[in-house]
Formats: sequence, structure tokens, C-alpha cells
Amino acid sequence: MRARRSSQLQGWLFTGPALLFVALFVLVPLGQLVDTSLTDRSLLGGGRFVGFDNYLRIWRDASFWRALAFTAQYTIVLTPILMGLGYALALLTFDNTPLKRLTRTIVFVPVIIGLSSSSLLWFWLLDEQVGLFNKLLVDLHILREPIVWFVSADLAFWAVVISITWKVVGFGMVLFVSGIQSINPDIIEAATMDGASYWSRVRLVILPLTRRIVLLTTLVSAIGSMLAFDQFYIMTSGAPRGQTFTAVYWIYQNSFVSFRLGYGSALSVVLTLVILVLSALQIALTARSEAA
Amino acid sequence: MIKRSTCAAFAALLLGTAAFAPSAFADSMTMWVRSSGANAAAHLVDLWNSTHPDKIELTTIPDTQMVTKLATGVQAGEVPDLVSFDLIYMPDFMKAGFLEDLTAELKADPDFASVAKAYVDIATYQGKLYGAGFTPDVSILVWNKDLFKKAGLDPDKPPRTIGEIHEDAKKIRALGPDIYGFYFSGACPGCNIFTTSPMMVAAGSKILPANGNDDALTGDGVKEVLEQFKEMWNEGLIPKSAQADSGANFASIFKTGKIGIQGTGGFLLSELKHDAPNMSFGVTFLPGVKEGQVSSFVGGDVVAIPKGSKHLELAKAFIAWELTDEAQLEGLAKNNILPSRPELADNKYFAADPRVVVTAKAIGIGYVPWVYHFADMVNSDSSPWINMLQRAIFDGDVDGAITEARQKMKDIASE
Repeated sequence: MRARRSSQLQGWLFTGPALLFVALFVLVPLGQLVDTSLTDRSLLGGGRFVGFDNYLRIWRDASFWRALAFTAQYTIVLTPILMGLGYALALLTFDNTPLKRLTRTIVFVPVIIGLSSSSLLWFWLLDEQVGLFNKLLVDLHILREPIVWFVSADLAFWAVVISITWKVVGFGMVLFVSGIQSINPDIIEAATMDGASYWSRVRLVILPLTRRIVLLTTLVSAIGSMLAFDQFYIMTSGAPRGQTFTAVYWIYQNSFVSFRLGYGSALSVVLTLVILVLSALQIALTARSEAA
Repeated sequence: MIKRSTCAAFAALLLGTAAFAPSAFADSMTMWVRSSGANAAAHLVDLWNSTHPDKIELTTIPDTQMVTKLATGVQAGEVPDLVSFDLIYMPDFMKAGFLEDLTAELKADPDFASVAKAYVDIATYQGKLYGAGFTPDVSILVWNKDLFKKAGLDPDKPPRTIGEIHEDAKKIRALGPDIYGFYFSGACPGCNIFTTSPMMVAAGSKILPANGNDDALTGDGVKEVLEQFKEMWNEGLIPKSAQADSGANFASIFKTGKIGIQGTGGFLLSELKHDAPNMSFGVTFLPGVKEGQVSSFVGGDVVAIPKGSKHLELAKAFIAWELTDEAQLEGLAKNNILPSRPELADNKYFAADPRVVVTAKAIGIGYVPWVYHFADMVNSDSSPWINMLQRAIFDGDVDGAITEARQKMKDIASE
């Protein structure tokens, strides 16, 4: 009994600092966010308690739901691209030969560029008049004339997807490489000796044994996409006519352009709940498929 | 008896202390300036620092962060002594009680009497004054004289109406596939309130409502200007890239020499002289629908004192000084920056280039809207202002665009 209490106390002491950190930098701000969401506080000061008025307003705010749907579309399209391409690159480069290490490094370099810098770079690469991307496509006869990428929501969407794929795919690749490299080589050798083809080894040995890291990376990538802001702020400015606003961009507009801090806080709470539910769903589905 | 050498030593010590004393007890003030106005503000602050014992330490804040920083700073009690920011935020800041009342000082200041009316209006709230014009900018119309000459137009005769802009643009467009008659940044709300709205105002329209009961987008000027823009777009007189330009090409595209006519700001003059020295260009006021109708958008920064400033009297002294001839001419005009007192437009520094004189005079004929929620109504990426422009010009529905924008502006103004 005494030993058990002592063990529990030790556990609390070890986890105490981390819990304090989480309380100070996560729970307290979260509490303040919820508190602000129940007021009509303005960035310019003032504000009174309004209960759930902000949440009722969100229910009627077509622009927010449009932004949330656009964000979901962006996440659903981008995540498989990043995961699929990242895994393919990992399969090609997980051996530690000098050439493959160099390839991994080159693919990873865009990851360390800041997202704002990368977005600005691609904004100008895609410019209709001076952009190199258009020039390349015209010179390769893929296009007859340069495209104005940001004139329509669809083109602007794909412009951002291309830029983010270039920037982020290396991150997934590196995680998948570490997962593949952690597989006992004897297992792969045994499969080879049993006559399994390359694709059979990938499908029946490598993929199942890297499932956890794939699912974790997918979750992190999806959450990152749901929180997309910088790239749209810089590349599209929400244009045309607000059709490329993401959920976070809409929160920014309300909080810092329209000065509606209370309403922006309520939007943030709703977005947090949406992401929590989706993440919990994904984790539950993962656990169920593993149990099966 | 005290020796002469000792007396001399004491005298030297006293003199040295007297010379040193002012700076030993001098104060230093802090000033925030938004990044767009930082270059101009630095000239004034440097001049003040070189001629006054009390120094100013200038801090540049990114444009998009200034409002948030000032708002949170005032509420937290952490403010600079002076702040220079986009003048369109004055109504919101004055209403929120962020700024010190400067009425007594400014009304007694003879230099303030000749400040452009737009700056006086924007800094007035309930009959009191809270700021002064600091580093002005103003919108103008520029035209490429080389292209005019090639198109058979008189290079010294600028268009005097929006209709003439359209006609001249047609002739310039005929010069070649990559030469365009006109340009505007079609996805940039700020650029267009700066350069397109004055054409509407010149034609007698009022753009923004001051409150929910006030009118918005009144008069025929709005429709007529939008119709002309729509026709120029449909006729291909404007580059396709203009539709998606959120301001990135607003300054740069005229420098390419492939645009005949464009609305722009006074800031472009020095850039053109530096980046396109061989281009011959002219400057005139933004025209309305009929000849003789002209206007401009008076922009730039105002300077004010936030509540909580630790050096209130010194800050007031700085504001009084920046309105003097010395500051306006030696700090601003000498560095090719417009003075906020139009009577100083004809000065020795601008004499060499009449285009700068025209630009400086544009401040005297210009307007600035006095409204709350300007960012919501205009500058926001989803504002009714930019939605109206895009629906009218690119979709072709001028009447529908104006009706929708009018209602949305009134809804915002009534919040």
C-alpha cells in the first residue's frame, strides 16, 4: 500500500512540470477563449456578456460554413497527395546509399523554409506575367498561353495545393523513412526468400508494419491542413470574392479586421471542436482496424 | 586669494557642465510607425533628433499589425509617446478613446490653420481634434507620354474625364498585343478606394455611409465609372492579370512601360524616376465624368498621442514642430515627400519637377471618408466594396453589384 502510494507520488512528481506547462499554456488560454466567446468584446476594448449569441450567429453565418467546407475540401484533397507521394519517396530513398541520402536531403530542404516565404515564392512563380511556372508550361506546350492562376477559386486552390505539396512532402517522407528503416530487415529478407515480389513486400510487409506512423502522420497532416491560413492569406487573399477563405482565415477576418474578438473566439471554439471530433474519429477507426 | 588658474578651471568646469546639462537631463520619446510610412517618418524624426536634445526612438510596426498592437497596447497601458498610423483608422480610435485631445494646442497653432482640410476632418471627433497630418500620400493619374505619342495622341494632354481615359486607352491598345491602355488592380480593395473612388467622388457621388441611417454609393458617378471600367475590360484594354491582382502589381506594372494610363499614388513618382528613368510620364488629377470634375483620395499617416503617453508635453511639442515650415520643407519636401500643408506645394525642392507640385496640390482637392469599420466596408478581402467592383466590372452586373454593396455597407455601418 505504502509502496503503491509512493509510486503514485513519484508519478505525479515526474509528470508535474509537464502538467503545469499544459495548464498554463493550453488550459488557461483555452478557458479565456471560451470566456471571450461568450461576450461581444471588440479589439478596440469594451464588451459585455452575451451568452450564446455568438454561437447562434455562427449557425446563421453562411460565410463561415462555406470557409469550413472549403477547408475540408482542401484537407481531403491534400492529405492523400502528401501521404501517397511522401510514402512513395520514402520507398525510393530509405536505403542509406549516398545518392539516396542526397535525394532525401534535397526533397527535405523546402520543409525548413518558412511557410510565408514559400507562399510568397510560389505567388511570384505562378504570376501570369513574370512567373517561371507559366513560362515552363508554355515552353513545354502544356499551355498555349500563361494562366492567371488566382482569377478563379479552382485554379487558386490547385496553385496552393501545388505549392504546399512542394514544401511539405519531404516531412512525411522523412517520417516514413524512419518507419521503414525500423523494420527488422530479416522480415523483409524472409519475404524475399519466400518469393514475394517487390509490390507484395510493400503491400503485405512494409505497409502493415509502418501503419502506426502512417496514421499518426496522416492525423498531423490533416490537422495542419484544417488550420491552413498563411498560404491562402499570402497567395490568394481569400479571392476571388472570399471563395478561398479557410476557417482560420475567416476567424482572422472577424477578429482583427472587423475587430469582433468575441465572435472570432466563438468561431475558434467551434473549429477546435470540429478538429477534436475528427481527430477522435480517426483515432477510433485506427484502433478498431488494428484490433481487427 | 584664489589663483587665476583655479578660477579658469572652475569657469571651464561650469561651462562644460552647462553645455552637458541639457543632454544629461534630456528625455527620449518612443514612437511607433507603420512600415508603409516608416521611410518618410524617419526623415522627420532624424531632423528632430538632430535639432533637439530630446530624442525620439522610432519603432517600425508591420502595417497589418499596427491596429492590433495599438489597441492591445492602450488597454494594457503599454504605449509609445507618439504613434503614426493609417489615417482611416482615426474614427475608430477616437471613438474608442485611445488618443489624447489636442484641440487647444492645434487650434492655437497658426501652422495648423493651413493643413489640408482632409487631415483636419479625419482627426476631428465630436468637435475635438486628436491628431495631425504627418506623412501624406495622395492618389493621382499617371499617363505614359511615350505611348501617347506613338498612338497619335498629344503627349502633353492628359485625359480629363473617365470617357477620355476610355478613348485614349483604345488607341494605345492598338499599338501591340502586349501594350494596354489602362490598368487597375482588380482584386485590391485598398488600391481601388485610393484611385477608383475619387473618380466617383469627382462625379458627385458619396461612397461610404457614416452610420446605418446614412447613404452609401449615392449619385450616378458610381455607376458611370463602373460602366466605363466594365467596357474597358470587355474590350481587352486592361491586362487579364488585373482581375486577380490583389495589389502586388499596383506599383510595378506602370514601370514596365506597357500601360498607357493608371491611377496611382504620389509614392510612385520617385520610384519611376529611379526604376524607369527613361520613361516620359505625366501626372494629373483623377477625373470624374465631366470635364472639370477632379478629386483625389488623401491618404498616408496621421500622428497622434496615445492615452498613457509618458511624455505628453514633449509629444505635443513634436506635433507642433512637424507642422512648421522647417519640418514640412526640410524634413518632407527635401526628401520628395508631400507636405500636409498644400500652401507649401510650390517650394524650391519641388520646383525642378512640376509633376511633384501637381501631386502636392492634389492633397488640397482630395477627400477622405470619415467612417467607422472602414476595414470591414472597404479593406477586407471580402468587403462589399471589392465585391461590388468585381461583380460590376468582371461579371458585368453593375446595377446588381451597387444594390448589394449599398445594403451590406449600411448593415456594417449600423453595427
